Amino acid sequence: MHLRYYILRRLLLIVPVLVGLSLVTFTVARLVPGDPVKLAAGPRASPEEIQRLREAFGLDQPLPVQYLQYMRGVLQGDLGRSMMNGRPVTTDLRRYFPATLELVLVSMVLAVVLGIPGAVVAAVYRDRWPDQLSRVLALGSISMPVFWLAIMLQLLFAQYLRVLPVSGRFDARVPYPETITGMLILDTLLRGDWTSFRIALRHLLLPAVCQSLLALALTTRFLRSDILDVLQRDFVRMARANGIPERIILFKYVLKNALIATVSMLGFLFGYSLGGSVLIETVFDWPGIGLYAMNSALTLDFQPIMGITLFVGLLFTLVNLATDLLYGLLDPRIRYG
Amino acid sequence: MSSRSPRPSPEIQALLDRYLRGELSRRDFLRTVLAVGGLSAAQAILAACAPAPPPSGGSQAGPGPTAQAGAPTGSEPQVLIYAAGQDIPTIDPSDRTDYSIGAVSRQLYDRLFRFEGGWPQPIEPCLCERYEGSDDATEWIFYLTDRAVFHNGDPVTAEAVVYSYQRTLRFQKQRSSVIAPFLDESGIQALDDTTVRMVLKSPFGDFPRLLAYHEQPIVNPRQVKEHEQAGDEGAAWLRENEAGSGPFVIKEWEPGNRYVFEAVPDYWQGWPGKGRLAGFVWRIIRETADRRIALLAGEVDIADTISTDDIDIIANTPGYRVEENFGLLAGYVKMNNQKEPTSDLHFRKFIAYAMDYEALVDVLGGHAQLMVGPIPEGVPYHDPDVQPLYRHDLEKAREHLDQTPWKDGGIELDYVYVTGLDFEEQLGLILLEQLGKFNIKVNMVPKVWPDMVAACGFPDTGPHLINIFVDAGPIPYNWFAEQWYSKSWDRETGGSFQTCDFYRNPQVDTLVETLRGAVDPGEQEQIVQDLQRILMEEIPGLPVYVMPNILGLSERVQGYVYYGDISVDFWRLWLADA
Repeated sequence: MHLRYYILRRLLLIVPVLVGLSLVTFTVARLVPGDPVKLAAGPRASPEEIQRLREAFGLDQPLPVQYLQYMRGVLQGDLGRSMMNGRPVTTDLRRYFPATLELVLVSMVLAVVLGIPGAVVAAVYRDRWPDQLSRVLALGSISMPVFWLAIMLQLLFAQYLRVLPVSGRFDARVPYPETITGMLILDTLLRGDWTSFRIALRHLLLPAVCQSLLALALTTRFLRSDILDVLQRDFVRMARANGIPERIILFKYVLKNALIATVSMLGFLFGYSLGGSVLIETVFDWPGIGLYAMNSALTLDFQPIMGITLFVGLLFTLVNLATDLLYGLLDPRIRYG
Repeated sequence: MSSRSPRPSPEIQALLDRYLRGELSRRDFLRTVLAVGGLSAAQAILAACAPAPPPSGGSQAGPGPTAQAGAPTGSEPQVLIYAAGQDIPTIDPSDRTDYSIGAVSRQLYDRLFRFEGGWPQPIEPCLCERYEGSDDATEWIFYLTDRAVFHNGDPVTAEAVVYSYQRTLRFQKQRSSVIAPFLDESGIQALDDTTVRMVLKSPFGDFPRLLAYHEQPIVNPRQVKEHEQAGDEGAAWLRENEAGSGPFVIKEWEPGNRYVFEAVPDYWQGWPGKGRLAGFVWRIIRETADRRIALLAGEVDIADTISTDDIDIIANTPGYRVEENFGLLAGYVKMNNQKEPTSDLHFRKFIAYAMDYEALVDVLGGHAQLMVGPIPEGVPYHDPDVQPLYRHDLEKAREHLDQTPWKDGGIELDYVYVTGLDFEEQLGLILLEQLGKFNIKVNMVPKVWPDMVAACGFPDTGPHLINIFVDAGPIPYNWFAEQWYSKSWDRETGGSFQTCDFYRNPQVDTLVETLRGAVDPGEQEQIVQDLQRILMEEIPGLPVYVMPNILGLSERVQGYVYYGDISVDFWRLWLADA
């Protein structure tokens, strides 16, 4: 019962968070200099044309009226239309979000699959060469500008070795696969279309590796530190004294206890990344939310900016809630209420 | 457009059937699905680092342009991959246009005239076979071909032409802004199935060229009506679908990603080259470095807006070439003529002589063409001998500065440019260095484009100096009216980026108005030459250089013709065999 109340309370709290977010974004977007109407109308537009366009988008109204009209639309599921391409923002979000979700999911899988064993090895071989190597790689991953690394990887794998494509989601010479979820890897798997799966995977590899680096480095270092901490606890000594094999101690008892902080961090990074990695999506021309957000910001396209902010804000709060609920699975001592 | 319906693989479908029949527990079902999927995925991942096999019926990227495994042999048409730096936000023929929209619209729709047959752009017949104008240039008759057909088989009639123009004028969006000053809906009529009459609001002697430049795509009214929603005249549908009669049709539409087009083999106007394309893919690659890599890796056949830094790399790679041409994209340093000190004629001349033009060309690796006069060479009636011609001369700069109240310097000027554009920043740094010799400080002010456009609205917000690029097409009137005609900025809603020098000269205003109605080419030429002379004497802004249009191409690409644009005319292209 407590858990239900907890979830309900957290869900209700999302409402004021999103209202606050919408207010801040709306105000900032309207106060920055620049006139998107003039941009959209073009350099040869007459004053009448500019005014007509301003009225069409409701930008001739006072700011509070504009805000209320916008929020009324939001409550009806209408996030407005892009001034630049005329499409409904919801259509664009549906179109671009699966690409970002796919990129983030695969990068998170990479971070977890490589990061957890890496952390265990680093902890077990503390201050020996595997630990030092992992430290150097982690620090290198964090301190290296990701866009620079991305370009270097493109040069190496696309230009010199020619084993991976430079950018995009799919080979331009091949018909685009029919989609179910919009995530090409998943869709091609579900259809058993292995040729398209391979093509999609080849396109995903470099962006996913670059996207995963931060989470991978943090996972490795944080988890290593937590594992070392847990290894010092009494229950571990007790287990060893009872003759429980080291492998079982490490993977069944130590790792589970050490994972709580890492899960929290990964949850945060996952939610954050869903907002789109602007740098990665730009360098690799990955048609996701990040690229959409950047293009909208550069043209001061208000409605997409607002829509993306609300959508990402909602996702972020939901992911945070899911992360908090996950604690309970890892540590039964945690109670919600 | 691809259809989208879920269809799992046969293995998973079989497992699902067994599960639904109760032959498998939920746990066993999930475990087996994961095992089947995981094994296959693992095999695929292992194989994925090798290039994918060529798709059936197409050609495959490989090491260099010659590795088109699976490409058709002989003279069979092939699919060309085009790497574009820009997305296609809409293809509604009445909405807006820019280089990407224009390049694609030309392939999907026919217009009255073709305009991409060479440089400077000749006016060639398309739907319009011939035309005639009245002596006072207010009434124009266009005679259409009776051979043109829309992609759904309907004939292209005068009614379709009238509807397309009227729809654009009704929408009052960006595309209408070129013709709206001259035409309104009631001025366009179909006299019969193949004859259109346009009656102008006021005379315009260069009207056919204006229509050619405007490139109104002719849309099928019947298809538009079929897809009308809530009286939108098909606007929602036409954003991503076509109703045209051009040489290509849409096959796939993936916004922000790629757009696939398929040739119409029996296109009514035929195909002009020795071969033709089976289709083309407009693939968006936003980063210039990525476009170069994709080209040299054989992923694409043409890459547009190549960086000048990449020209030699591409040109020196066997199997590739670079097309570098100068069009009409002219770079100016606009000077605010309504604000001190740039309102002072001698101060403007001082800057014009202090600017080191050759240094800029050097900085750009020689890939720039210095302007002679206020309009680029490709504009009709350009005067290559116009005087005065400003080139770097510090003595003359000093002479002019001495005639101003700021002869000892001690002042600061803001130079505004687009954030992140190196060549604009370099221009500012050259000014900073040269004006510094006269104790005048230049503040480098980078701004994002919307902020720059906003700053150019009114003289009091306009900066002293701002780097602006203008392309007003091969219509002399446009160049002068859009930049130096005072009514283009001295109005309630202000001006736009082209008018950022806020120049006001009644003589120029009168000449611009006269030019608009001039029918006689001799009269047009005389007015254009007078305007060039006055503007060089008054130097409201510095005409600096024309930007090159740079394309990187595989040697397999044949039939390319430069016509003053960033992009290509796919109708004229074909791919040679590897």
